[in-house]
Amino acid sequence: MKVARRLGTALFVVCAVVSLAFAVEELLPGDPARMAAGVQARPADLAHVREQLGLDRPPLERYAIFWERLVHLAPQHSVPAPEHESCAVVLAFAHRELHVNLGKSFQRRQPVVDLLVARVPRTAALAVAGLSVQLLLGITFGTLAAVRRGSRIDRLLTGASVLGVSTPTFIVAFVFQLVFARELRWLPLDGYGVTWTDHARSLVLPALTLGIYGAAFYTRLVRDDMIALLESDWVRTARAKGLPAWRVVVVHALRNALALVATAVALDFGALMGGAVVTETVFRWPGLGELSLHATLDRDGPVVCGCLLVTSIAVVLANVVVDLSYPRIDPRARG
Amino acid sequence: MRSIRETPDRTSPPRVVCAAVILALGPIGPVACGPRVAPPIAAEHGDDTPPRHGGTVRLAEIGDARNLDPAGPVDGVSLPPVHLMFAGLVDFDDHAAIAPDLAESWAVTEEGRAYRFVLKPGVSMHDGQELTAEDVKRSVERALHPSAPNPTASMFEGLVGFDAFVEDRADHIEGVEVEGRYVIGFRLKEPDAAFLPLLAMTTLRPVCRNGGWRYSDDWLPCGAGPFKLPPGGWQRGTSLHLVRHEAYFRPGLPYLDGVEWTFNMQALAQRFRFEAGDLDLVRSLSQADQRRFSADPRWSPYGGTDADTNVYGESMNTRTPPFDNIEIRRAVASAINREHYRLLKPAYLTVLTQLVPADIPGYDPSVRGQHYDYDAALEHMRKAGYPYDPRTGHGGWPHSIDYPLYDQGLLVFTAQLLQQDLAKIGLHIELRLVSWQAFLALQARPYGAPISQGSWDMDYPDPSSFFDPLFTTRAIDPEGGHNIAFYSNPHLDDVVAEARRESHEDRRRALYARAAAIVCDEAPWAFAYSHHWYRLRQPYVRGDTPHPIWHVDVTTTWLDRAGRSLEQVLGEGLRR
Repeated sequence: MKVARRLGTALFVVCAVVSLAFAVEELLPGDPARMAAGVQARPADLAHVREQLGLDRPPLERYAIFWERLVHLAPQHSVPAPEHESCAVVLAFAHRELHVNLGKSFQRRQPVVDLLVARVPRTAALAVAGLSVQLLLGITFGTLAAVRRGSRIDRLLTGASVLGVSTPTFIVAFVFQLVFARELRWLPLDGYGVTWTDHARSLVLPALTLGIYGAAFYTRLVRDDMIALLESDWVRTARAKGLPAWRVVVVHALRNALALVATAVALDFGALMGGAVVTETVFRWPGLGELSLHATLDRDGPVVCGCLLVTSIAVVLANVVVDLSYPRIDPRARG
Repeated sequence: MRSIRETPDRTSPPRVVCAAVILALGPIGPVACGPRVAPPIAAEHGDDTPPRHGGTVRLAEIGDARNLDPAGPVDGVSLPPVHLMFAGLVDFDDHAAIAPDLAESWAVTEEGRAYRFVLKPGVSMHDGQELTAEDVKRSVERALHPSAPNPTASMFEGLVGFDAFVEDRADHIEGVEVEGRYVIGFRLKEPDAAFLPLLAMTTLRPVCRNGGWRYSDDWLPCGAGPFKLPPGGWQRGTSLHLVRHEAYFRPGLPYLDGVEWTFNMQALAQRFRFEAGDLDLVRSLSQADQRRFSADPRWSPYGGTDADTNVYGESMNTRTPPFDNIEIRRAVASAINREHYRLLKPAYLTVLTQLVPADIPGYDPSVRGQHYDYDAALEHMRKAGYPYDPRTGHGGWPHSIDYPLYDQGLLVFTAQLLQQDLAKIGLHIELRLVSWQAFLALQARPYGAPISQGSWDMDYPDPSSFFDPLFTTRAIDPEGGHNIAFYSNPHLDDVVAEARRESHEDRRRALYARAAAIVCDEAPWAFAYSHHWYRLRQPYVRGDTPHPIWHVDVTTTWLDRAGRSLEQVLGEGLRR
């Protein structure tokens, strides 16, 4: 019941976000048809493109069409009918198909679903890799700084984390490109590559770039929380019982600190699934961030709505997962 | 055989040391590491070597190619590949003059109302089919049909039967006639001297039969150009790989096996890849890098600029005070110090004193144009009824004037120069930063922007491509018209229309000179500069001349690159 309630809320949030995006697209000044046709298109051609894109229809009608076609049933055909050419088949049963249709991109003239299907896995890979670096470094350094509180290591790690948090991502990206791609030639400068090996090698620098920024944040977060936890009664009791120092730190203190980390991870993961715009652009990583950036600048409404749909789903799902896993992390939450 | 690295770069510290310095110092590391412009990669043979076949030339763009179908929106990034894939009846030579391409000859009759083209026989399309006049007609109708997302279709409204076809009252365009297997005729409603340049652009270029009679988003582009698109050759948003069309109708061409574009590549990444020999030619260097390479004697012989094909200026809304006063507009045109604009990006900007840029056929150097003259500007302010005393700062237009602009590097700086120049004659403009879309919307409204930056890139290389959309009365349209000055002068309309009809070159030039004089004098725009790109190639890229229209045309380009150095091979191996 609790799960169903949370999923229901999540669905409402997703619908609200996409509706808001639709409204904002309508309210912003500018003409999407002009962006699609090119700024030098003549009025007659512009009117023509506007009609082709359906932008000559009233906004409410387009909004209704958006929801109507988003998830619908269609008869099964070996060759899709023209009205279903931008649909993705999610499920086939009894001569019927369940379709998802986000329309066609104004700019690229490709089904938005196809664009998202190609890009979501890349962004997910970058998000997971970046987040892994963040957590690995952040938790390790944060714990170390807390355990050695006031020492040189603590001061060094705290200083480094301030530097990491305050350095813009593009500067970190630039330095990594210079060092590892241009000078040492160990890794690709940018791009995505063709083979799986290419993809993996191309992922390293953007993941490290994202990782450095986040690691600095998590270092501070874990350090501060761990300092408080290491002074708590139950940790003192654990020490008094003669437990090994590592067990006191890892099992009794760090495990409790993870609840806070999990909350932050859920938010971070959702944000990263929206695409790390700067990192993806600098490293030419063809993910959602790069797609949504261009779509926003080009007033490509269907793509903007599609990207937001994916992002909002990622955010709410990550939060639902974390909510549901709290009791496992922190026994106090079971009640 | 000469070594690959003509002059080893001995002035720079070892790479590992530099890497350590950069890691330690962050972004200021490269400065501490010294100027590290890599040396050029030399050609294998001397300059007198005949062209060789083979190799793939690698290029990059900051933007993305949205479309490769000539019947769709062809932008600056997709223009060169579309040109290379699709041959036209006529094309532009290296001086932007009309030259035969698929047509071996043509005749203009009926006082410029009829064009009859004879195709070269035996031209093979990418699908192996022979090009015929029927293919030309089909391609024209495919591109101009309302189902195509063609943003330039209305430029061909002069064709007989165009309106009926577009309004779906006719299945075919009456004015496009197949007169034989290799003969195609075009009939126009009235003479149009710009028809050939218009036809030479990519829109109506013949497409293979599998392109059908109507546009489709899923079609694999296929034409008769020197390069063709193999299946999977276009990774949207990432790269484009074209391969040689073995049966290209010009014997022996192209020399290259292929052309490869990488899209969405940042300027700095382009520079690094170019230096490493992973790109053969670059056109998107940052200004700092452009200076670095230009100042390096090893590189300077291999750099150059593209043609000026655009115009930038300050567009004044002739319906809005104070610019409804012609003397105020004249004052602005005289007050702008265009040289200051140019100095913002000296390698990329050319001062422009009239509408048509110098590299467009029809540019007339005899037109006096608009020039900086501070005393004249003050005098125009006095005549306008708003005298300004620069010593006391009294006088001038009593209100501040909105100047919308969007956050684009150069515009932000030119706007500040304009603000300073106009303040000196008593016009106070207030800069208002808006989004790009809002900027376009404001410009399009009749009373949206009193003054704003106007810009225009040629649609085809002819003065009509500038005068018609920017300054004629019929180009005023609140639904996206480009006469953003809302300037209307029946006399200018007549001169421009007459010039468009006039086929005699000297008389046509004289008419456009008159039009230019009117526009410069009445100053709906204060013309400021045109922008071009700086391009740099590796020495082993041969036969590369900047094309005035297509910018990158590698039909006659060839590569003279020897085997790669151990360092490069190792570097590439590691990168892979």
